[in-house]
Amino acid sequence: MRVTIEEESMHGKVDRAGSRVLMAAFALLLLVAASPVRAEEDVWPALKQMTFGDRDIKAEDGKVTLDAPLTAEDAAVVPITVHVPPEVTGPLKSLTLIIDKNPSPVVAKFTFGPAAGTGGGDRSLSTRVRIDSFSHVRAILETGDGSLHMATKFVQAAGGCGAMNAKDPDTENADLGKMLVKTFPPALSTTPLFEAQVMIKHPNANGMQLDIDTGGYIPARFIKEMTVKRGNDLVFRMESTFSISTNPNFRFTFGRGGDNELDVSMVDTDGTVFTAKSQASGS
Amino acid sequence: MTRQDFLRGALALTAVPLLRPIPAFAAAPSPDSVEVSEIAPGVFVHQGRYEMQSPENQGDMANAGFVVGSDAVAVIDTIGSFKVGKRLRNAVRAVTDKPIRYVINTHMHPDHVFGNAAFKEDAPAFVANHKLARGLASRAERYLATNKRMLGDAAFAGIEVILPTVPVDNTMSLDLGGRTLLLETQRTAHTDNDLIVTDSATGTLFLGDLLFSVHVPTLDGSIVGWLAVIDDLKKRKAPRVVPGHGPHAMELPAAFDPEQRYLADIAADVRKLIKEGKTLEEATKTAGFEDRDAWKLFDDYHVRNVTAAFAELEWE
Repeated sequence: MRVTIEEESMHGKVDRAGSRVLMAAFALLLLVAASPVRAEEDVWPALKQMTFGDRDIKAEDGKVTLDAPLTAEDAAVVPITVHVPPEVTGPLKSLTLIIDKNPSPVVAKFTFGPAAGTGGGDRSLSTRVRIDSFSHVRAILETGDGSLHMATKFVQAAGGCGAMNAKDPDTENADLGKMLVKTFPPALSTTPLFEAQVMIKHPNANGMQLDIDTGGYIPARFIKEMTVKRGNDLVFRMESTFSISTNPNFRFTFGRGGDNELDVSMVDTDGTVFTAKSQASGS
Repeated sequence: MTRQDFLRGALALTAVPLLRPIPAFAAAPSPDSVEVSEIAPGVFVHQGRYEMQSPENQGDMANAGFVVGSDAVAVIDTIGSFKVGKRLRNAVRAVTDKPIRYVINTHMHPDHVFGNAAFKEDAPAFVANHKLARGLASRAERYLATNKRMLGDAAFAGIEVILPTVPVDNTMSLDLGGRTLLLETQRTAHTDNDLIVTDSATGTLFLGDLLFSVHVPTLDGSIVGWLAVIDDLKKRKAPRVVPGHGPHAMELPAAFDPEQRYLADIAADVRKLIKEGKTLEEATKTAGFEDRDAWKLFDDYHVRNVTAAFAELEWE
């Protein structure tokens, strides 16, 4: 495995449209949350309008499914998995993860590239998220034809955003930026999908955790962007917010290629770039 | 802060007074004080229930103790609410009227620190691992919200987060007159702020939540660290140890066997699953379940333990 960390600032040219959507959704939720009378209202219609406009979203039509625990043991580390079943074939455009009641409801948006795979098995993507109060969790898939499909689960978890879930912060801070990228070949050599896992030691601090030394809050610092490539081909590009748990962790399928090595690059809100290359699992 | 600060006064003693012979003492349960047992001369332990916090138990679900010297008393953990903390204080007062000079917290968890406010009137030094303040302060909001919900308003009343006023980095001695308590911080194990306490007069070793018995262990630190700490602590010569959850007193090294087996089984299962490329969700459904019948509250904590172990061990 090769792990390199470099300070840099050459990523100035990224597409800002997605970021604007995330920021707008955040601003909207602040407005909604600011009114106690409306705090328990269903925020989804407004959130949907802000994120997808007037586009039609088909709910629970089987194009996408979502696994999430009914009750989360640890609200700061809630594992969620999105599946696109084998019956659904063809390229995918994007996947948006939303937690309605989080301070920053849009968790992440993944935009898929040619190396994401076009089917031939269960396509999936897992990550671990913070959940601040009992909330609907949504996965909205945009298929190749541009149509939107949504799977929703209600998760009973609370306090995940304020929780400092680094159990050993001194060690964690010393390891910041350490990355692991693993690939897992399929059980059958004919399956056109590989699986990979990307992990980084990063606080993904959301600015909501108290700092005992200063009496204030630990400044927000989180992974805002990740690019995964197989050779020159894009698997996906992700834009994310601080609803992703500390030590961001992603597991996903991608299309089988030549050597199936992945290059991963992440950028956090401090502008620090983290890069790593995959190592085959067990090697 | 140096240990000299805590030796003041004690040096003036010319003779170590003999401990007043106290018959084996077990105060009858009363609404005003928690039940305590004298497990060694001047060393008293209250045994908490094997339960989650509830309006009925008022947060009385962890062990606590106190040690009586010729000058002063040290309380070791204060249980999970102001109300039971008050009853613990009454139990101290039923035994001695010596000043409560120290309140020691063995780690940051609410069932060990939320009774601290009941001792404010004694103006004690609140003593703990130097990392406790950071850990507790950053979780305080969540701990308060969770305990308010689980205890209900009545049992929650009076709870305050009281951070240590005397941090311990490595070791510290507290002189109670005629006996000394040796405080030792530990590497990250149950939490990153564990502290153990040895009474010089009787050798009694308070282990806090580094030792669970009957109540399933809960992992909020490092499984690798905890297993290493267990290896170390099993070699100690203390005549009796006090678990954070479990009976009043136990014997080394056997006291650690079930907990060591439980944690080692989780670590082995999780490492195997990671090697096989399995996910966190899959691990939470299979790892460590072979020990399910050996513990109380297994279903309340086990999945969280596996989650924490997985998130740690996947980096190996």
